[in-house]
Formats: sequence, structure tokens, C-alpha cells
Amino acid sequence: MNETAHNNNKKFLVVVDASENSRRAVSHVSRMLGGLSGFYVIFLHVINPPEEDYFSCRSEQEEWMQQHRIEIDRFLKGYRQILIQEGFDPKALALKTTLRYRPSIVECILEERNRLGCGTVVVGRHDVSRSEEILFGSISSKIVSNAKHCTVWVVE
Amino acid sequence: MKTMPNQNSTRRMIQRWFPNFPNDRLVEIHSDTTDFFRLNYDDVVVLGERAYFIRQNAKEGRFGLDDEEKFWVKRAFDLEDGSRKIIKLVFHERFKTLIGDIEFECFRSPRKEARILELAGDHKNFMHGYAITDEKGNIVRVLDFIYGKPLSIMVQDIRLDHETYFHRMFPAILERYIECIQGIRFLHEHEENHGDIRRDHIIIDRESGHYRWIDFDFNYRQRESIFSYDLFGLGNILMFLVGKGDVLLSNLSREKHPALHRIRADDANIVFRRRVANLRKIYPYIPESLNRILLHFSKGANWFYESADQFLEDLEGYRKSVGRNGSSFEGRDNETECETFEDMFEGKDRR
Repeated sequence: MNETAHNNNKKFLVVVDASENSRRAVSHVSRMLGGLSGFYVIFLHVINPPEEDYFSCRSEQEEWMQQHRIEIDRFLKGYRQILIQEGFDPKALALKTTLRYRPSIVECILEERNRLGCGTVVVGRHDVSRSEEILFGSISSKIVSNAKHCTVWVVE
Repeated sequence: MKTMPNQNSTRRMIQRWFPNFPNDRLVEIHSDTTDFFRLNYDDVVVLGERAYFIRQNAKEGRFGLDDEEKFWVKRAFDLEDGSRKIIKLVFHERFKTLIGDIEFECFRSPRKEARILELAGDHKNFMHGYAITDEKGNIVRVLDFIYGKPLSIMVQDIRLDHETYFHRMFPAILERYIECIQGIRFLHEHEENHGDIRRDHIIIDRESGHYRWIDFDFNYRQRESIFSYDLFGLGNILMFLVGKGDVLLSNLSREKHPALHRIRADDANIVFRRRVANLRKIYPYIPESLNRILLHFSKGANWFYESADQFLEDLEGYRKSVGRNGSSFEGRDNETECETFEDMFEGKDRR
């Protein structure tokens, strides 16, 4: 698919985690698109695991990953349900998780967007201070700065 | 299975470098470092093919606090060649820390430090050493001791007024500091971060004069950017170097500094609100091009550096704007002045 086609298609990539901001973003998508036909929504969660020696032993690390996967499963199913309740066809919804595979989470998100051919990226804005944003980065701000050939919705 | 050295041969190795070590002293020889409290003064730890004679635990002090003993960091001697070493043992520590009013979770990461030691190799701007696993698989880091003092102490001990310092000494200090930033860029290019960039984590190598980064084991839960925290640290050090120390609002107030009424909330450091970032308001001879860089670390900043490259580019721009030696102060030979740094110190060596 060429870039123009990406930009105009009805495939949405909604970037989520367990936060309230993500829930807001999903609700916004459901209100805006609920009941309309032809739209396709992919929920994307990038798993950002702590480094190996954050844990004192291997089993602790495995347990963290196991718990996190349960958590992911829980919130992704919940978000999917929100859209179904607003009239989305379950077949038009997909869930995707990936491990952070680049230094920047945003690079992972944009690469996934490209791979999945989504015309719009939706992300909730986290409630962090300006200082915190500078110290650790902000996913929504960086998506706005770096996304190309697509539309970006930032939900406050 | 590896053969441990016996008492006699170990004692002979020690006496080669410490002739007064008693003949009848029983030496505790360790190859398992898991319980680092068991490794004491006068013990020997064997790592791979080498034996190290342990002296005291390392200490670290900061901001006028008493030195804190780090039981997992041992000062030692390599019994093969007599060289001084710092041996860092595995200490799984997780803690919350505050930067300004921002709390975040940190942990010690021996693996990260081991990776960076290997990556840095003999890079002139980093500490050198190697990582090795002990018999229980603990990642122990054996570091070459750097003779010299921290950059923070060097700057604090300069007995010059700010203007003289800024024109005569700062250009050469900046030159060296830029090399350090290039070192951090090198790490970032390899998708690593330093993680604990502080003014006392640069040691000025007494022999070579190079500024060298130390302590790479600090790590924290990464969010979007793994480099921003390093860049913030680099900016703080620049601010410290330009200001010849932290320029604190409380001090300006106490001194009834004439510039105090011109300081606005936006002029403060973006995180440390009591530190002034807009130093040109205090020291008007600081060139605009340099002050602009500092302002990117101020509360009023509307844009922040995203890479070490961007930061270096601006610093290069500043250097070009003021000439090769970085000073517009006429009639002074900066390079000659800078060779006599030691004469201006008060002679303290806290390292």
C-alpha cells in the first residue's frame, strides 16, 4: 500500500496500556466511530519490560512477565468490549502486543503502524509534568513530532 | 574445577607488594562474592586467574553529607602487578529516588555496567576495567583506579572570581567537557545510557588530564526516551561549569545580588527550581550563544535536546562564535593559563 493510501484508509491503530489515559482514548474512538461501517481498529500495546537485573532472580522476572501478560489480556479485552458495545463489528477489531524492540517506544509504534498499514494513530496523553516529560520523554509528544504519512489523534 | 591458591603462595603474593604483611596471618580467600559483607580488609578474592588483595570499602559523599560506606565496592590491589583496583560486587538494590520533585524507581545493574565497560574498552573518556563472573555467577566488575579528583571538586576549589575564571579557565574546561559529551554520544549510538550523569562522576585523570566518566551501574525503569535523563545531566554539568558552581537563588538573595530582581521563574533550572539556569542575568559577559544552550535546561524552555548530537552542535556553534580558544578576553593566553590549574586549587583530594 502506498503512503497516500495509508493516510486515507480507515484503519486505526490505538496505542494502549493499562492507564486511564488509554481508556479515555478508546472511549473517544468508540464515540467518534461507533456504528460507522468500514472502520478497522487495531489495539497495540508495546511491552516495556524492566532490564534483566531489575529482578533478583530469573523466576521473579518470569513472574513479572506472566503477571503483565494477564494484565495486558485483561485491559485489551476490556477495550475491545467498549468498542463492541458502541456497535463495532468484532471482526473489525484486532489486538496486538509486541516487546519493545527499539530504544524508543515511539519507534516501535511507528514501525508497527507502517507494517500494519494504519492511516491513523490514536494515543492518550499521560498526565505528566513538563519536567517529567523532559527527563523521561513523552510518547504522545514524540508521536506528534515523528509520525509521517498518517493522522494522529492525541486524546487529552 | 579451578584450583585456589594456598595460604603460603597467597601470603607470598601479598608480601611482594606489602612486605610488612605478617607471616603468620591466615588469609581468607574467597571465590564466591555473593555475601559481600564477608569480604573484609586483608582478605583475598580470586576472580578467574587473578587474585585481588582487599583493602577498605569504598565511600561516597555528596552535597556535604558524610561519606557513605559502600560495602559492595572494595578497594583492592591486583596481586599480579600491584595495581590499584576498585572491585564492584553484585548488590541487588531497588529504590525510589527524587530528582527535584519527580520520583522514579531505580536499581543497580551489574549487567549494564559490564556491557558498558566492554563497549568503552580503552576509550579515553571512560573508566576502564572488565567484568567477570565469580564461581556463583555473580557479575563482578574489576575497575582500574583513576588517580585524580572529581570535576566538581576541581571547579569548587578554583580560587578566582567568576569573570576571571570564565575567561581564563572555562574555555579549556569546556574543551575537555565536550570530549566527555562525545563519550556519552558514543554510548547512545550503541543504545546504552550512562544513567547517572553527575559532576562528581567525572574524574580528571591526573596523568593524562582527560575527563573520565565513572559509575555505569545505575539504572531505572525506562519510559519513552532512554537518553533524555543523560542529556538533562549533561546540561546540569554545563550549568555548573559555566556558573563555577551552582548559582542558587538563596545565595543571591542572601548576598542581595543586584540581578536578583531580574530573575523570573522561567530562569530557573527546569527541575531544580532553586538553581538559576539563565546565568547571563547574573554574569552579563556570558555570550548569548552559550546562554541560549543553558536556557534549553530552564523552566522557560519550549524545546529540549533530543540527542547528544544536537547538544554538541550548539556547543560547537558557541565555540566558533567566540574563536578557537573559546574566549573573547584579550591579551590572555588561555592554553598557558590552563596548564597551571593545580596551582589554583586548595589541594584537597577527596577521591
